[in-house]
Amino acid sequence: MTAAVLRPVVADNVAAPPRLRRRPGLGSWLLFIVIVVGAFYGLIFSRISLDRSGFELAELQEQIAEEEARHFELRVEVAELMNPDRIATAATKLGMVYPAERTELSADVVSEPAVHPEMRWAQLRTLLSAQP
Amino acid sequence: MPKKQRRSRDLRLLSVGVVLLLGWIGLGYRLFQVQAVHAAEYAGDGADQRVRHEALPAARGTIFDRDGVELAVTVNAVTVIANPSQVADPALAARLLAPLVQVDEATLHSRLSRDGQFAYVVRRIDRTSADRVKTLVDQVGLAGISLIEEPHRVYPGGTLAAQILGFVRGDDQVGLEGLELSFNQQLTGVPGTQVVERDRYGTPIPQGQLLIEPAVPGSDLVLTIDRQIQFATETALAETVAATNAVAGTVVILEVDTGEVLAMANMPAFDPNDFTASPIEAFRNRAVADVYEPGSTLKVVTVAGALEEGIVAPVTELQLPAELQIHDKVYTDVERTEPTTMSVAEIVAKSSNIGTIKIQSLLGNARHHDYLDRFGMGDPIDLGLPAVAPGLLHPLHDWCETTCGPSTSIGYRVDVTPLQMAAAFNAIANDGVWVEPTLVKQVIDGDGQIHEPDKKERPVVSKETALLMREMLKGVVADGTGWRAAVDGYAVGGKTGTTEKLIPGVGYSKTARIASFIGIAPIDRPEVVIAVVLDSPHGEVAMGNGTTTRLEFGGVSAAPLFAELAGITLNQLGVPPHGG
Repeated sequence: MTAAVLRPVVADNVAAPPRLRRRPGLGSWLLFIVIVVGAFYGLIFSRISLDRSGFELAELQEQIAEEEARHFELRVEVAELMNPDRIATAATKLGMVYPAERTELSADVVSEPAVHPEMRWAQLRTLLSAQP
Repeated sequence: MPKKQRRSRDLRLLSVGVVLLLGWIGLGYRLFQVQAVHAAEYAGDGADQRVRHEALPAARGTIFDRDGVELAVTVNAVTVIANPSQVADPALAARLLAPLVQVDEATLHSRLSRDGQFAYVVRRIDRTSADRVKTLVDQVGLAGISLIEEPHRVYPGGTLAAQILGFVRGDDQVGLEGLELSFNQQLTGVPGTQVVERDRYGTPIPQGQLLIEPAVPGSDLVLTIDRQIQFATETALAETVAATNAVAGTVVILEVDTGEVLAMANMPAFDPNDFTASPIEAFRNRAVADVYEPGSTLKVVTVAGALEEGIVAPVTELQLPAELQIHDKVYTDVERTEPTTMSVAEIVAKSSNIGTIKIQSLLGNARHHDYLDRFGMGDPIDLGLPAVAPGLLHPLHDWCETTCGPSTSIGYRVDVTPLQMAAAFNAIANDGVWVEPTLVKQVIDGDGQIHEPDKKERPVVSKETALLMREMLKGVVADGTGWRAAVDGYAVGGKTGTTEKLIPGVGYSKTARIASFIGIAPIDRPEVVIAVVLDSPHGEVAMGNGTTTRLEFGGVSAAPLFAELAGITLNQLGVPPHGG
């Protein structure tokens, strides 16, 4: 009788013993719930913040428009105040009048004085009177 | 459980199940209808309630003077509107609103009681009144009354430069006259649009749909007008028109080297803020729209041409008869009945018609026409204003060989605008270079880009001829017909003009005259040219020696206004006096 050759069992062919899975503990569940709820509230909060910013932006834009309108009104007011007719009328009411005489004040000049116009004219007359 | 009871229970359960099933089927069907079949329709209905397509009006451009002060500007004014169908008690609303909006109660009651869903309560009220109305509406709860904003064109200077600026129509802000009309497209800009989601109160929904195509604001105009000089000109012109009993008057003041219009005044005037209160004649800018025969002021072109051609010199003497008959016309000189001899300078100073005709005969029609053309007669000047008259210079082939040349030489048979004559004198002042006058200095578009008009200029006579002409124009004021144009502290020159008024379809008036004076100040270093034209001045003025003289002459009525304006303008420009 031939003795059967005993071969060692290949480990790969042997099914691995079932591992023991650890069930998530209560802490994990709580953490998960906290994260989900936190994310939910975070989402809502960010949405509210964005909406609030949107309303603030709308208000600011309205405010800008009002200020721009006010700016234009003030510009008009300044232009009206600068109206020469208004100033002349106000000056007249204050008793102001246009000067009857003009007073000339001469000041020493630093630069060389230009050729007096009358001299220039005299030179030209001499030159140009020679025409036919 | 007895069998009978069990069957009854099963039946009830089945019934409930069937009912629930039908309910779910119904809900599912409805859900399908809403979410699938009519989804687009309902989404559209919802969007219609929230999404609004709104126009973004483009701000109308501002018109500034040369110093950047607003002459015409658009502001948002508040208008009170009503929906009469919602006004429960029109009498009460009228009683409450009347004192706030300065409209009488009966008128308001009528507006609030009419049929329909829209009525203006009052348009374009000031902010203070608008705030009071808003408070009233909010506190009392006046249903059917609301406030809206409307653009409103304001002219802060009132009558200042009114014919230059023009005005706009109230409802749509479209330019109707002046620069408001001719630059309407540039001033208007391009309106934009926005698509926005709003809640029931009109507040934009954050993170809602928002598409904006921004409006392009209208261009701003910067004029060459100096408002101080413009005001002084208008004031002095109004006084002169009243004092000389003239029908109308025009003044143009040009800066010599640039040709910029410093002032352009017309009488009668109007207020563009309330243009409906003035007659339509007041809207016309006579400086560019009205033509007249320039008379003796045009002699300057005749003499300048003869000087330029070397035909005469200021000292050249000519024999002048007491009167000169050419064909069927007899030409005479004012205040001269005897033959005499005059130099060319004297002919200009004393404004001799016969002397000028003699010079023209030496020059000839062809060359005379050429110089009139060079000085801009018959060519419209593009200031950017509407209704600019080109004037009339007859083509040379239409000139007869008899009286056409002589009459033209003394300022008849030619139609000009006051601006054209000012530009012609400006060529003399500017050493013989004709510069096209400009009124709009800059156009600043919505992007801030600055556009400036091209400067057009051309030489018309030599510098020497221009200098000689100025010397002779100086003589007109020093020793001639224009002595009333003398300005204290400055040497000035100019030319008087008086023509019979040509009335279309009637002929020359026996009584009405066009009186003018066009001058250069200072004459030795020209800074400004001032043209004064008065329509039909009449009456007499005391001379001081117990005699009187007639106001219909340019030297009597127009020259003093030139003197006043020259003094004011030179002072305003900071030109120092240096002895007259």
